[in-house]
Amino acid sequence: MVMPTIRETLAAWSRQISERYESLSMRLRRLKDPAHVDLAGRIGLFIPATTAILIIVLILTFLWYESMPILTSDVGGPAIFLEPTWDPNRDLFGIGVFIAGSLVCTGIALGVALPVGIGAAIFLSEFCPSHLRDVLRMIIEMMAAVPSIVYGLWAYTVMVPWIRDSVYPAVSSNPLLAWVPFLQGPTNGYSALAGGLILAIMLLPTVVSVSDDALRSVPRSLREASLALGASESETALKVVLRAALPGVGAAIVLSLGRAVGETMAVLMVTGNSLTIPYSLFDPCYVMTSIITNQLGYAFVFPLWRSALFAVALVLMLMSICFTAIAKVLIWRGTRIGAVV
Amino acid sequence: MYEYRIEVKDLNTWFGEKHVLKNITCYFEDNSVTAIMGPSGCGKSTLLRSINRLNDLIPGFRLTGQIFFAGSNIYDPDRNVYELRKRIGMVFQRPNPFPMSIRENLTFGPRLHGIKDEDELERIVEDSLRKAALWDEVRDQLDSPAVHLSGGQQQRLCIARALSVDPPVLLMDEPVSALDPISAGKIEDLIVQLKKEYTIILVTHNVQQAFRVSDQAAFLYMGELVEFDKTKRIAVAPEDPRTEAFITGRIG
Repeated sequence: MVMPTIRETLAAWSRQISERYESLSMRLRRLKDPAHVDLAGRIGLFIPATTAILIIVLILTFLWYESMPILTSDVGGPAIFLEPTWDPNRDLFGIGVFIAGSLVCTGIALGVALPVGIGAAIFLSEFCPSHLRDVLRMIIEMMAAVPSIVYGLWAYTVMVPWIRDSVYPAVSSNPLLAWVPFLQGPTNGYSALAGGLILAIMLLPTVVSVSDDALRSVPRSLREASLALGASESETALKVVLRAALPGVGAAIVLSLGRAVGETMAVLMVTGNSLTIPYSLFDPCYVMTSIITNQLGYAFVFPLWRSALFAVALVLMLMSICFTAIAKVLIWRGTRIGAVV
Repeated sequence: MYEYRIEVKDLNTWFGEKHVLKNITCYFEDNSVTAIMGPSGCGKSTLLRSINRLNDLIPGFRLTGQIFFAGSNIYDPDRNVYELRKRIGMVFQRPNPFPMSIRENLTFGPRLHGIKDEDELERIVEDSLRKAALWDEVRDQLDSPAVHLSGGQQQRLCIARALSVDPPVLLMDEPVSALDPISAGKIEDLIVQLKKEYTIILVTHNVQQAFRVSDQAAFLYMGELVEFDKTKRIAVAPEDPRTEAFITGRIG
C-alpha cells in the first residue's frame, strides 16, 4: 500500500468538507419538497428587513419617553403644540412657533425646488445633447457634495444682503406686489424666504438626479408611440414620459421633503431665529431643528425645558413620517393605472 | 400628378457613416397591404420609419431623395411633421401601450389633435376598438390599466391607438414577431380586414406571413431594393436569385 502524499490528503479533506457542506445545503433545499422553502433566505433576510422597522419604533419610543414630562405637566400639556410663545424662564413652552417656521421654510423650499428640479430633469433626459448632459449631471451631483454649513455661509454673506438690498426694495416699490399680505416688510434679510431659498438650492441635486434617472428609465418605445401619434417632443415629455416616471419623480419629492424638514445648519444661519410666527416671506422665523441645536446645550437648567426640546424632535419626526406617507399615498393614487418605473 | 398615396424616389439614408438604404424607389398602393421583407439589418425598419420621419430624431441620421405622400414631399423643410405623423399611423414590434387606462390610450391621440368633446371621444374609443377587433374583449374594462392586458390584446390595443387619429396609412413594424402564434393569427386576420380602409405597409422577416397577407411585396437585401412586384408573382417566380434564396430559407 502506498502512503498518500500530503497533497492528496489535503485534497481528500477538502473534498469531504465540500461534500458535507453540499449535503447540508441540499437538505435545506429539499426541506419541503417539491415546493421547498428557502429557509436561509427567509430567516436570513427577515432580520435585516425588520431591523429598519425596529430602529424607527425605538427612536419614536425614546422621543416619546423623553418628551413625556412636558406633555404631562401642568405648565405644558398637549396644548404646547399649538401655542405660539416660547419662554422657558416663564414656563411657556409653546412650540407652535417652530412648527409654523418649519412649515413655511419647507413650503418655500419645495415650491421652488420641485418645479425647477423636475424641469431641469426633463431637460436633461429629453432635450439635452448627450455630451452636455454628462457634464451637467456631474456638476449637479457635485452640488450634493457641498457641506450644508458652506451653503449656509454663502447664504449668510450673499443671499441675506441680496434679499435685504434688492429683493425687498423691488417688491415693496412695485405697486402690483406691495399690498400682498405675505410680501410685507420691513426686513433685514434674515427671513423665511432666505431659509426656504437656501433649502431649495440644497434640495435641487436630489430632485434633479432622482427624477432624471426615473425619466430616463422610461422605455424609448413609449416615446416613439407618442411621437408616431403626432405628439411633439414636449407633449411627449409631459404627457407620456413624466407620467410614466411619476413614481420615480415621487421618490424625489419624498426624499426632498424629508431632507427639507430635517435640515439644520444652513437654515439656522439665515432665518433670523426670531420667536415669532412668520406671516410674510420677509419675516424672520425659527425652525424646529434650529431651536434644538441652539438650546440643547443649556436646557438642562429646567428639566421641562429639556423635555420640551424632545417634544419638538418628536413633532419633527412625526411630521417627517406624515409627509412621507402623504407623498406615498398621492403617488400611489397618481399611478394606480400603472407606470413603468 | 402622383398616382399613389405614398411614393419613394431615390431614397438614400445614412446613420453616421453607414449607408443603410441605397437608391430605393418604390410606391405603395392604396387600400392594399405591401410587405417589406428581408433579413435582419437589411434596412426594412429604416425604410418604414423614413415614411413617418421617426428617424429624424436619431442623431447622425441623414437622408437624400424624396418621399411623396398625397402628392407632396414629406421631407420639405416647411412640412409640419406632427400633422404628417398624425396621418401616417404606426404599430411597433413590441406592444407599447401607454401606462394609462385602455380608454386614455385611445383618447391620447385625439386629445392631442384638439378633440375635446366627450361624446366624440367616446365614439372614437368604441370605433377604434371595434376596428382592432378588441371591443368585445375589453368593453367592460375600459378604465383598467392597459398593461394588464395580454400581449396579443396589447398589440391590438396599439393598433386601435394608431387608428384613433384616423390615419389613411398604417405602418407596421413586425407587429406579430413578439406574439404567440394564436395572437399572431388574429392580427394577421385583422390586417386583411383593415386593408379595405387603409393603406398598410408591413415590415416582416417572415416570408410565409408576407405571402399570406400582402398584395405587393418588396424584398430588401443589404440596403438595396432587390425585387418589388405583386406578391403572387414573387412567390411563384422570383426573378432575382437572392430573392429566391430568401424565400426558400437559404438566406435570412
